[in-house]
Amino acid sequence: MAKMKIKAKAKGDIVKVKAMFTSLMADTEEAEKKKIKVEYITQIVAKHNGNVVFEVSTSGFMAENPLFKFQFKGGKKGEKIEFTTTDNNGKIETGKKKIK
Amino acid sequence: MFKFDHKSMLVGASVVAGTALFLTGCLPSSSSASEIKSASAKVSTTGVGPYDPKMGALDGGVTYSRENGQYTAYRYNEQSTKGVDHGRVPTANELKAWDMDIMPDGTGLPEGEGSVEDGDELYEEQCAACHGEFGAGGHGYPALSGGNQEKDENGVIKTLKNQRLEPGMDAPKRTVGTYWPQASTLIWYIRDAMPYAHPKSLTNNEIYAITAYILAANEIEIDGVEMDDEYVLNREKFLKIKMPNADGFYPNIDGPTAIEDIRAFFADRAKNIGSGTRCMTDCKDPGMTGKEATVMKIGYEIKDVVPAYSMVRDLPPELEDKVISKAEKLYNENCKLCHASDNMGAPAVGDVDAWYEVAKQGNEKVIINAIEGMGGMPPKGGNEDLTNTEIKKIVEFMIDSSKKKH
Ligand code: HEC
Ligand code: HEC
Repeated sequence: MAKMKIKAKAKGDIVKVKAMFTSLMADTEEAEKKKIKVEYITQIVAKHNGNVVFEVSTSGFMAENPLFKFQFKGGKKGEKIEFTTTDNNGKIETGKKKIK
Repeated sequence: MFKFDHKSMLVGASVVAGTALFLTGCLPSSSSASEIKSASAKVSTTGVGPYDPKMGALDGGVTYSRENGQYTAYRYNEQSTKGVDHGRVPTANELKAWDMDIMPDGTGLPEGEGSVEDGDELYEEQCAACHGEFGAGGHGYPALSGGNQEKDENGVIKTLKNQRLEPGMDAPKRTVGTYWPQASTLIWYIRDAMPYAHPKSLTNNEIYAITAYILAANEIEIDGVEMDDEYVLNREKFLKIKMPNADGFYPNIDGPTAIEDIRAFFADRAKNIGSGTRCMTDCKDPGMTGKEATVMKIGYEIKDVVPAYSMVRDLPPELEDKVISKAEKLYNENCKLCHASDNMGAPAVGDVDAWYEVAKQGNEKVIINAIEGMGGMPPKGGNEDLTNTEIKKIVEFMIDSSKKKH
């Protein structure tokens, strides 16, 4: 279950984005200790109008439910920002949010 | 049940104790019984103000007139204050003001409405600093969300079953979404206790909006409807909320048969709670996992204490009363708070170098500075009642106490 919470707010042409991804971010070592599945997000990409505005590689070193904040130029209210996450098992999830 | 807040705690406590005795909490700490009597003579004992509970309001928001045209928030106690039987029966207004529960059945739930989006805005301004973005916690304050409400085959939320059996394992997650059985607690808590620094400052619409936002952050669905940004929560919809863990508590303590239900539940302990079997021999592998149970040992044992504990049972010898000058006494009362150390930016008494610099200006000037104030130093240290001569004496004491000792 890797749901996401997104918030994007435009001020002038700068869009401030916050996003939190529901994931236990458990790598092999952690999963073994906690007796849970190995499951962590490996890549997060954010696109605006088809252009990548944010991209990170992640791994189990991150805390559970990682939160990201960034800003980019050139977005407007009403447009959309779209996130795609990929996890270690290749599972892909997407989420969209209107810029406010 | 009565809800306390810090203002009505004292009074509220005695109501809950189920006694008709009632401490009004109006006793100023220094007053004696006789002072109370004379004070009560000057104050009317019937409220004159309207019932209007607001910030800072005591006694149900009622104000009581005093003979000098002023008002007081306290109803003075006219009964005897001898022995333990003093106090009075709370007034109807007082009960109304203290009985402010918001119950699951809707009792006390105000009218109002607010959208998730508005709540988001308010949350960010007023709550996120402590409770984290999206309610995720992480600042040392409770997390308000934890979206994972996955249930096991018995309908128990999985993360609630976490056990810290080994280092690194997670504790049960108890958030609004996973644990709280009723949403009424949430809106009630927010209305009465949050934001922490200035509770009761939110309007009813605002509390609906923030509650909506927190519920949405917990992925709560209302009547099968997901709460998106545009979702507007109001009283009617609120009453339809069923929290994910609503059935997670047992035994059922509600309803007219509650007492029998609880008795029946505990009568069959083995079945309902699971008594387990006590292990008395060969208990090294309790979970039969083939692994020995970890035995915790104290790594660094404290062997001695320096200086050693004293076994002497005498009281410490009484110190002879140190005679202190009037100037020192005044210093202790008025200046020490800031001048005992340089934490406040004040020259610390005893700091030879600091006072050497101060004294360089000449005593006259320094005394004038102390009288008129300078920088972080309030005029006369903030006590207008000190005479100029007294300030002079104190300053001389401070300078004297900060000279190099030979
Ligand atoms: C200055 C920090 C601070 C701010 C700002 C603040 N809170 Fe709190 N909040 C706390 C603390 C501390 C507690 C725990 C109080 C306790 O347990 O006695 C708490 C507890 C809570 C709880 C109960 C959580 C639980 O699991 O027991 C809720 C709900 C809550 N706050 C909501 C809010 C809302 C909504 C706002 C904004 C309107 C807010 N808080 C603003 C500090 C804050
Ligand atoms: C609220 C804190 C506070 C209290 C109370 C206070 N002081 Fe000060 N005092 C200061 C600070 C801060 C300074 C340093 C001011 C500066 O250098 O700008 C100072 C400086 C002084 C100085 C040095 C003035 C100079 O010329 O450098 C004297 C003398 C003094 N205080 C006397 C007193 C006396 C006497 C009292 C009590 C009647 C008192 N203070 C109470 C904060 C306080």
